[in-house]
Amino acid sequence: MSLAIVVCLKQIPNPDLQFQIAPGGKDIKRDGLNYKINGADEYALEEAVRLKEKNGGRVVVLTAGPKRADQVLREALAKGADEAVRLAYDDPAGLDVGRVARILAAALRALPHDLVLTGVQSDDTSNSATGGLLAGLLGAAHASVATKIVTTGEGLEVTCELEGGLARTYAVRLPAVVTVQFGANTPRYAPLPAIMKAARQTIREITPASLGHASWDAIPTPYIFHVRGLSPPPAKSRAQMIPGRAAEQAKALAQLLREKGFVRG
Amino acid sequence: MGQDVLLVAEHLSGALAPSTLELVAKARDLAIQSGGSAKAVLLGHGAQSLAETLATHGIEVLLVESPILEHYTADAYRAVLLRLLETAGPRVLLLAHTTQGYDLAPSLAGSADLPLVTNCIDVRLEGPGLVATRRLLNEKVQGDFELLSEKAYVVTLRPGSVRPAAPSAGGRVTPTPIALDSTPIRTRFLRLEQPQVQDIDIASADVIVSAGRGIQKKENLALIEQLAKRLGGVVGASRPLTDMEWLPKTRQVGQSGKTVRPKLYLACGISGAMQHVSGMKDSGLIVAVNTDPSAPILEVAHVGIVANVLELVPALLKELGAG
Repeated sequence: MSLAIVVCLKQIPNPDLQFQIAPGGKDIKRDGLNYKINGADEYALEEAVRLKEKNGGRVVVLTAGPKRADQVLREALAKGADEAVRLAYDDPAGLDVGRVARILAAALRALPHDLVLTGVQSDDTSNSATGGLLAGLLGAAHASVATKIVTTGEGLEVTCELEGGLARTYAVRLPAVVTVQFGANTPRYAPLPAIMKAARQTIREITPASLGHASWDAIPTPYIFHVRGLSPPPAKSRAQMIPGRAAEQAKALAQLLREKGFVRG
Repeated sequence: MGQDVLLVAEHLSGALAPSTLELVAKARDLAIQSGGSAKAVLLGHGAQSLAETLATHGIEVLLVESPILEHYTADAYRAVLLRLLETAGPRVLLLAHTTQGYDLAPSLAGSADLPLVTNCIDVRLEGPGLVATRRLLNEKVQGDFELLSEKAYVVTLRPGSVRPAAPSAGGRVTPTPIALDSTPIRTRFLRLEQPQVQDIDIASADVIVSAGRGIQKKENLALIEQLAKRLGGVVGASRPLTDMEWLPKTRQVGQSGKTVRPKLYLACGISGAMQHVSGMKDSGLIVAVNTDPSAPILEVAHVGIVANVLELVPALLKELGAG
């Protein structure tokens, strides 16, 4: 069964970096940050491209973000997406997940789709909420934390990871929203000619006006959202730190492990 | 909107999820702040005894039973909760931030147009508003976020954030019939799968030496294996390593893998993402080796060493007479 698939991607600051809080405490300092595609979204994209390669169909990649987010769309085009759409949403932090989901939903209502895929979680805000919110807002069926998606005569069969290594498999009707888990597949590398080609491809930009809204902030939410303040996490560490160079640290640790009875002989 | 706090009990194969008792504790705190009562809702089929077990923790349990609820499906659970939102009108609907919680909570909030905040490490009511404390960017930033709404707040609480409620008197089970026959189930349960285990069970080991991305290359696992052997233990891993198939899934420690409580847990090059820490934080002695002095693993470690594991482990093996 060939599907029209939309993959929602997010560009995030590389979470392996160190972060500082911006003056005012409403966001992190963003000067000179290194951005990348959200980890789980890479698996969602790969799943979409594989479904297309197997069954035919079409893959559109969608993101909400400033101009810099074009980079993740171009990477996705190079890896096999057919079309890229960016919602020109300039809030650099995007901390209000309910608003971002409503913006994406507004665009999805205008993009034909049988299946929406996205990563199970973004590594910057860790909400694990966008996929479920989209399903609810669009009135679509959904499944979360997918490690396997296969098409059947009536729709999809989706295997979802649970805690403790268990998994549940569902028959899912279309249209559906499915969030994809880390490790669900092995994302491909884009070949150089595809990267060259993607660099020249047009990225469709959608403005709020083109969807009938005065601004993105004019899309109503059922609540008022306010960032009270960001801070470094309180230092809760109770760890006794072993100082020195590796050789000295090793010596102290060996002694500790012997004292606690973990070393025999 | 009323003042009650309604938590959604989670259970699988006849057992309550540990996070449900944490929700009981948090729901009580919130009910004190709202001036209402904490109540639980348990959905299932033949779940009377589970509901009674939950009620022994001093909470009223609304028991919703139907053959359709034998297995969790988002569609059936959402239909029940939407009905309860209309009839019981809680101020807060509290769920655990588990795979089930993040399947259900956002879809419910989206379909009923409700305010949502997820993966909270703390949450409180302040006047008409709700303030949530969350972690961002791999635990390196903490934030307080305020939502203000006249509608019921849908909140998921990260497992392990509060102490679970202890047994206490005053609970009861209230059968709560809700007709579900006409609910379309678009995500239909087919089967539950248990992994085929043909490996050691790391959960039964006294000593676990775990490797994370800090070991850099698969070949360096040999060092970790050598250290585990010297300490009479087994090798565990963080999720990225099992995702890359450097080690089998059976070795993964964390929320989606094994929960372990060895006497010694030696974390080598593991930064300590929430999903990992929740699976090992109750170990007897936790030693963490990491190059990053701000790594969140140090929040739960008893002994911390800021070092490159590829230098530290060979030096340690030498000290232990195994180098």
